[in-house]
Amino acid sequence: MLLPRSLKEELIKYLFFSVAAVSIFIIFFIFFFLFQEAFPAFQEMGWDIFSTNWNVSEGQYGIGAAIFGTIIVTIGAMLIAIPLGILGAIFLSELAPYRLRVILKPIIELLAGVPSIVYGFIGVVLIVRYLQVSFDMLSGYSFLAGSLILGVMALPIIISMSDDAMKAVPRSYKEASLALGATKWETIKKVTMPSSISGISAAVVLGIGRAVGETMAVSLVLGNVMKIPIPPWDMFESTGTTLTSLIVRDMGEATGLQVNALFAGATILFVIVAIMSISSNILRERVEKKFKGG
Amino acid sequence: MNLRKGYSYSKGFLKELFKRDNWEFKKIICIISIVFSSLVAIIGFASVAMSVYVGDMLLKILLGTIAILLSILLFYSYVKLHKKKELASLIVFVVIVFLLAYYMPLFPPQYGLRSYDVDASILKFMIISIILIIVGILSASFSMKPLYNFTSKSSQASAYYFLTVAILLILYPLVIIVGNIVSNGIGGISWEFLTQDVSRHGTKGGVFPALVGTLLIMIGTVFIALPLGIGCAVYLQEYAKKGKIVKVIRIAVDILQGIPSIVHGLFGLAFFVPIFGISLLSGILIMGFLTLPIIIRASEEALRSVPLSLREGSYAVGATKWQTIRRVVLPPALPGIITGTVLGVGRAAGETAPIMFTAVVFMGAGVPTDLFSPIQALPYHLLELTRYIGAYPVDQNAWTTAFLLLAVVLGMNAIAIIIREKYRVEF
Repeated sequence: MLLPRSLKEELIKYLFFSVAAVSIFIIFFIFFFLFQEAFPAFQEMGWDIFSTNWNVSEGQYGIGAAIFGTIIVTIGAMLIAIPLGILGAIFLSELAPYRLRVILKPIIELLAGVPSIVYGFIGVVLIVRYLQVSFDMLSGYSFLAGSLILGVMALPIIISMSDDAMKAVPRSYKEASLALGATKWETIKKVTMPSSISGISAAVVLGIGRAVGETMAVSLVLGNVMKIPIPPWDMFESTGTTLTSLIVRDMGEATGLQVNALFAGATILFVIVAIMSISSNILRERVEKKFKGG
Repeated sequence: MNLRKGYSYSKGFLKELFKRDNWEFKKIICIISIVFSSLVAIIGFASVAMSVYVGDMLLKILLGTIAILLSILLFYSYVKLHKKKELASLIVFVVIVFLLAYYMPLFPPQYGLRSYDVDASILKFMIISIILIIVGILSASFSMKPLYNFTSKSSQASAYYFLTVAILLILYPLVIIVGNIVSNGIGGISWEFLTQDVSRHGTKGGVFPALVGTLLIMIGTVFIALPLGIGCAVYLQEYAKKGKIVKVIRIAVDILQGIPSIVHGLFGLAFFVPIFGISLLSGILIMGFLTLPIIIRASEEALRSVPLSLREGSYAVGATKWQTIRRVVLPPALPGIITGTVLGVGRAAGETAPIMFTAVVFMGAGVPTDLFSPIQALPYHLLELTRYIGAYPVDQNAWTTAFLLLAVVLGMNAIAIIIREKYRVEF
């Protein structure tokens, strides 16, 4: 190379910097293009976009029912995933002997590796049929089926992140508690859990974000009817839809303002999930800061 | 006269049994109770899972009788051992045992699942089975308490029981999913299935073009995401560790990782499809963006594990920063980077939503000739087959496709784990 050494070094540094900046550009691009496509819907519909009036023949595209469905399905999923996930994480990090842990952790990561379309397929051939027979439901396609699948899908992320959070609690904390005569369980309850609560909440927040954005599995097992079920809390007979499954259902055939409305839904999803990611990260950073000194 | 004698004798016997130091007997009672309660929970779970009432009438009556006997004995021992101390848990326990004893024998088989005409009974059946599960687990964990003489160890024992139950519940869906897919799908794998085109809406023929499409997506993803991912990780770890711009980049990577796959798909539809059309290239670009954060994370982790002393040694002999990175830092970090890449590619192989509007068609694409032609892909193929279930006889092909997809994706995960274990560099 004829370039002087220091200049070359500088150039390489800026090359790496520009590569690193790509992810910022991607985020910016994604938001820009989503919003560009969604803008006509926001402009034309105003706040009506959040109404529950979805009527393709009249040109009314309120996505309120889908937002409602997203919330209900996510709540249902979290009722399953949060308690089980935290208990599983305690088992994994505090109770399981090393050998069991070495086997269990990859197995649980395997759960995360299963593609969402496979979950959806299993949902259709097993869970929906099971619900139809066992709970005597009309079709089995319901919020309940969606919540069950989403709960299982959100489990591995909550388990592995909470496990990391509990493992990050300094050994000295636990040893101090044990030295005072506390049992292992008392130590977990009074020392490990409270000091890792930020990390566990980060895991839960990220799990919620994952559940909100999950697409294929949910769209296959929901009834995909664009209305709020009556009564809204009926998990069994209610067939609604979520933002993601609405997009999957309608994007293929949508034209005109409907496309914009679907993009508006995607923009809302993007914003929700971005907020979730950032807050989860803030929580995690707090943990890191906390244990840095101790 | 005889009766009274017998009564006083049995009273004395019970008194003897529940003396504070009659440790062996207490232990046996507790263990029987734990086993029994767990059995109740398992029966309840099996009833829910298989939609049939497991266990016939005789078993139920037998278990119910044991339940009543045990509840009386345990109640007695509770009162004897702890007069007021654990009143609350005692009340809960008695209620639980009562429910248990009540529902086990009195559950008539005609409320079982097969009576479709009585729909309320089915819900009742389910609710009762779920109650059985909860009651069994609670009762078992409560039975642990006398075993440890109500010390703080006793609550530890019940907590551990709960945790074990939880981990079993977590593993259950995995067993169901993988077990069903392997047992139903492995039979359909044949040379014809792997090498023939899709025909008759997926009811006949194979998945060859879909398999090729998925492999192409995987290869293309590596070309997009690996250079960008390594570059970003090197910048973050080696050049700039702190500062505002680094913070912004990290936040961007975080957000990128969390973006739902359908949002990626819509972005591709709005950005790439107008330029490249519905094509392999659009799919590869989107999948590259999707896997980028995974690779960045893994590479950062790998770079971080290279100790500072190696770098310092390199600087000490006069190497520049770039030489140090290329010759000293990257080689030991390579296994970690490859692991992350393989994981990311595995994820890309299984995703449907990002490519469904941007790259794939169900039939007729064949093997793509260039970057700008549409492709078929396994996950999308499975989606279409799932939609046909009930309408066309696609069940066997759907199971086989699911098995194939699972094998590809989990195979990638397994490769990643093997690489990580085999080439792990210890410092």
